[in-house]
Amino acid sequence: MARRSIVPSFLGIVAVVMGVGLLLVSPQEASSQGQSPAKPAAAASAQAGAPIEAVLTSAPDVPPPITRRDPAKVVVHLEVREVNLPISDGVEYTFWTFGGQVPGKFIRVRQGDTVEFHLQNHPDSKMPHNIDLHAVTGPGGGAASSFTAPGHESQFTFKAINPGLYVYHCATAPVGMHIANGMYGLILVEPPQGLSKVDREFYVMQGDFYTVGAYREKGTQPFDMQKAIDERATYVLFNGAEGALVGDKALKAKVGERIRMFVGNGGPNLVSSFHVIGEIFDRVYYEGGSRYQENVQTTLIPAGGSAIVEFKVEVPGTYIIVDHSIFRTFNKGALGMLKVDGPENKLVYSGKEVDVEYLSEKAGPQSTAIAAAASALEKGTLDIKMQISAGEMLFKGTCSVCHQPHGNGLPNVFPPLAKSDYLMANKQRSIEVVLKGLSGPVTVNGKQFNSVMPPMSQLRDDEIANILTYVRNAWGNQGDQVTAPEVTATRAKIKLPPGAAR
Amino acid sequence: MRVMAIAALAGFLVAGVAAAPPAAAQDHRHKAMEAAPPRGDSVYSLSASLVDQRGRSVGLDLFRGHRVLISMFYATCPDACPLLIADLQRIERELPPHIKADLRIVLVSLDPERDTPEALQALARARYVDESRWRLLRAPEDTVREIAALLGIKYRRLPDGSFNHSSVITLLDPDGVVLVRDEAVGGSHATLLRSLRAAQSAPSH
Amino acid sequence: MRHLAFVTLALVLAGAGVPAASPPDMARVGPGVLRPVYMPAPGVTTVDVAAFALDRLPVTNGEFLSFVTGHPGWRRDRVARVFADDGYLAHWAGPVELGPDAHPDQPVTRVSWFAAKAYCSARGKRLPTEAEWELAGAAGDKGPDGAVEPGFRERILGWYARPATAELPAVGSGQPNFWGIRDLHGLVWEWVLDYNSTLVSGDSRSGKSADRLPFCGTGALTAGDNEDYASFMRLAFRSSLEARYTTRALGFRCAGDGEVALR
Repeated sequence: MARRSIVPSFLGIVAVVMGVGLLLVSPQEASSQGQSPAKPAAAASAQAGAPIEAVLTSAPDVPPPITRRDPAKVVVHLEVREVNLPISDGVEYTFWTFGGQVPGKFIRVRQGDTVEFHLQNHPDSKMPHNIDLHAVTGPGGGAASSFTAPGHESQFTFKAINPGLYVYHCATAPVGMHIANGMYGLILVEPPQGLSKVDREFYVMQGDFYTVGAYREKGTQPFDMQKAIDERATYVLFNGAEGALVGDKALKAKVGERIRMFVGNGGPNLVSSFHVIGEIFDRVYYEGGSRYQENVQTTLIPAGGSAIVEFKVEVPGTYIIVDHSIFRTFNKGALGMLKVDGPENKLVYSGKEVDVEYLSEKAGPQSTAIAAAASALEKGTLDIKMQISAGEMLFKGTCSVCHQPHGNGLPNVFPPLAKSDYLMANKQRSIEVVLKGLSGPVTVNGKQFNSVMPPMSQLRDDEIANILTYVRNAWGNQGDQVTAPEVTATRAKIKLPPGAAR
Repeated sequence: MRVMAIAALAGFLVAGVAAAPPAAAQDHRHKAMEAAPPRGDSVYSLSASLVDQRGRSVGLDLFRGHRVLISMFYATCPDACPLLIADLQRIERELPPHIKADLRIVLVSLDPERDTPEALQALARARYVDESRWRLLRAPEDTVREIAALLGIKYRRLPDGSFNHSSVITLLDPDGVVLVRDEAVGGSHATLLRSLRAAQSAPSH
Repeated sequence: MRHLAFVTLALVLAGAGVPAASPPDMARVGPGVLRPVYMPAPGVTTVDVAAFALDRLPVTNGEFLSFVTGHPGWRRDRVARVFADDGYLAHWAGPVELGPDAHPDQPVTRVSWFAAKAYCSARGKRLPTEAEWELAGAAGDKGPDGAVEPGFRERILGWYARPATAELPAVGSGQPNFWGIRDLHGLVWEWVLDYNSTLVSGDSRSGKSADRLPFCGTGALTAGDNEDYASFMRLAFRSSLEARYTTRALGFRCAGDGEVALR
C-alpha cells in the first residue's frame, strides 16, 4: 500500500519557509527559542549512529519533542495485551490494547528516522495481532510483517518518510473487531525543524464501542458484532473509557498557555466532529497533515485519521471536549474536560465558569454514589440512603435543568417538585410521568402550568427509582421509596409515546 | 494380522522419535558427519524417507556437509514454480565457481500423487537442471506436510489438483541449520547471494 | 536405541490390548458438508468431509506426560529446537513432572505441532485436518449446524474476546455436541494437521486481489461465509502459527480412520 507523498520534500519545506510564510515554525520561534541548548549526549549518540530506544507514553501524555537535528535509528518495543478494564462505571469490557490501555502508546519520531519496530504479543493473549502504521510506506503499513502469535514477537523496519500525525491499528481479521476492541493509537513523525513551541501537549483519541448490553448496563459486557456492522454504537469515548478525561482526570492547564492536542479517531466506524466548548482553535492541522487552517470551531476527524489542534487559553474555567454529533456526548460518553486555572480576564469573558454541577453526573468523584448504588442493587443490599445519594447526582445531571437545583421549578413554566402536592399525591403516577412525560394543563400547589415534559424513558429503571426516591424525600417532601422493580413493572404496563427512547 | 499391524505401528513410532539419528544416506561424501546426530536446530532432525528423480531412496539430509538451497514446488505448477527454478539457476550463475561447485539444491514436491520420479526426471531434463547438484524429491503426503512445516512453507491442494503455496527459498548450512529464508519469487535474492558469497569454502567431505 | 524400540513396542502391545473396533474415547463425526470461510475454488462454497473418528476430549496433561515418559525424545529438555520453541511444556514443574500448575485433567497446552503429531502417531492416530475439525466444530447441541441455534456463534466469539489468563478447567466439563464431542469451543485452540494451509499474507486486507506469484495456484482463496467470524478467527489464529510454536491457550486432540469411522 504505497502512500503518495503529498508533502513537499525536506528541501521543499525549506523553500516554503523562506518564501511564502506558510510555516510550520514561525520565524521568531525558529529552532532555538524554547529549546534547551543541544544536549551533548543525545547529539553525540545520534551522530554516532547508536540506536535510540523510543520513549512511549500513555494517553493523555505525549513524549517530549524531538530535539536532535539528524535522523536516527529508533527502536520501538510495543506490547499487545488483552485486558479487562472498566469502560464505564460498573461496566467492564475486554480491551485489546497496544501497551495495556486504550488508546495505544504514543510514538514520536522524526522525519527520516529508521524505525526498528518490535511488536510483542503477550503470552496471555488469546488472539494473534499485528500492526498497520499509517506512517509506513510499505505493504499493509507493516501488517504483513508483524503478524504475531501469542507469546511471540515480530520485528520489521521502516523509514519515516513523511511527516505528520498518523493512526496505527491492528489489521488482523476480522479487522473491525480488533479496532473496535481498542487496538489503535497515534504515531507522530515530526518534520526536521520540529513543531512550533507550545506550553502543553495532550493526546486524545476518540473511538466507538459496541456492547451487547445497553449504554451503562452494568456488568461485564461482550463485544457485539452485529451492532458494529450496523454502526449502532453503544459508547463513543475519548481515551477508551467514560470519564477518562473528567473530574480529577481532566486535562489541566494554566491561563495564558498555548495548548496543542494530538487528536486521533480510531473509529472503527464513526467520524468525529471535534469541538472544545468555549474555545476556538487558532490552528488546525487538518487530517494531521502539514497545512493548517485558522480560527476553527469544530473540525472533522475521519475514522482512522487525526488532527492537530492548537489554541491559547485566555480565561480560566472548565472547557468541555465533545464530539459535536452531540447525542454522542450526552448519551454515549464522548465528553472530556480541560480545566484551566489562573486569573480571570473579564475583557474576554465575564460570565460564570461552566457549572460543574450541570454535568456532575459525569464527573469522577460524585459518580461513585451512582456506582455504589448500582452494585448494591445487584447484591441486594441497596437501601434508601444509597438511593437518595445516587438519585441526587442523577437529578442534578438530568432534571435540575428544568426543575432547578432545589426543586423550585420556574414560575409559570416548570412546576416545582419541592413540597409539591401533585408529586406526592400518587407515587405510581410519578413513575409514569417520568417514563411517559407530561403535557397539558396541570395544577401544582394551586398554580396552573401548561408545558411539556419530555419522556425520560431512556433512563434505566434503577436510575429512575433512585431519582424519584431522592425527589420524594428532598426539600421537605415526606416521601417513600421507589424501587427498580416498581419502575420495571410500570414500564411494562404503560405505552410509551412515539419517539420515546426504548 | 494384528501382530503385523503392531509391528508396523512400532516401526512408525521408532521412525518418529526425534532424537533418532538420520537414516543411512546414499551420498558417501558425508559419512564423516553421519556418526554425529544432527543439532537440535537442524532441519535434519527430521527423519524422512524420500525418493529422488532417479528413483533412489534418500533422507532429507542427503546433502549434509554441503550448503543447501531447499524449496518446495510441484511439477505442473503454472506460475511460481517455473520462476522458482529459474531463480535458483540465476543464483547459481552469479556464484564464483568454487562456491557453486559445493552448493546443492533440493526441491521437494508438494504433489506426490502426480510428481512421480519419472515426472520429476522429465521436468529436470526440460529445465536443464544440473543433476549432479540438484535433486527433485518425492515424499509421502505426511512427510511433505512435515517438511513444509519445518521450512515455514504454507500450501493447500485445491479441488482441481493445483496448489496454493508460498514460495520460500531456504539456505541451510552444512549441518542443516537455517541461515537465510528468502520469500521473494522473482526478486533479486540479494540476501541469499550475500550469504553464499561470504561463506568459507564448505568442507567437501 | 534398541532398548528404546523395545520399550516402545511394549507400550504399543499394552495399548493394543484395547480393542481397536470401538475406543470409548472417540466418536464418529460426519460424513458432512462443510461451508468453510474460504472458498475452495472460485464459485465453490462447500467441502465434502468423509466420516472419521475424533477424540471426544482434548489431550490432557496426564496423557501427554505418559507419552513424554515413554518417548524421552519429546522431553522439554531434550526435544530438538526445530520441533518446539522455548515455551514447550514450560508450565510443567519438570521434564517428566506436572507439578501444581499443570493438573493432570487439564488440556495440555504449550505443545508444538510436531509434538502433538508425534503424540497422535504414538497412539495409532493422527491430527484431524482443518476441514475435519471445522466440521466437528460447526455442530451445535442438536444438529450438525450450530449456526441455526441461537447464541452459538456469540458464545464462541465471547470466548475469543477474553484473554487467556483464567486457569483452565478440566476437560469434559462442557456439554457434548451433536457428534458427542466436548470442549471444541471455549477451552483451548487446537492444532490441526494442515494448520499451514492458509496463505494469509499476515495482512488480512489483501483479499480478493492477492498476488498469484507469492501464492501460486489457480487463484486466491477468497472469503466464503462472511458471517462466520468464529471460523474466521480460528483461521487467522492458525495462520499466525509456525509448527514449532507453543502457546498458552493452544492444545490438541487426535483423530483416526478405520473401523470406528465406518460404524
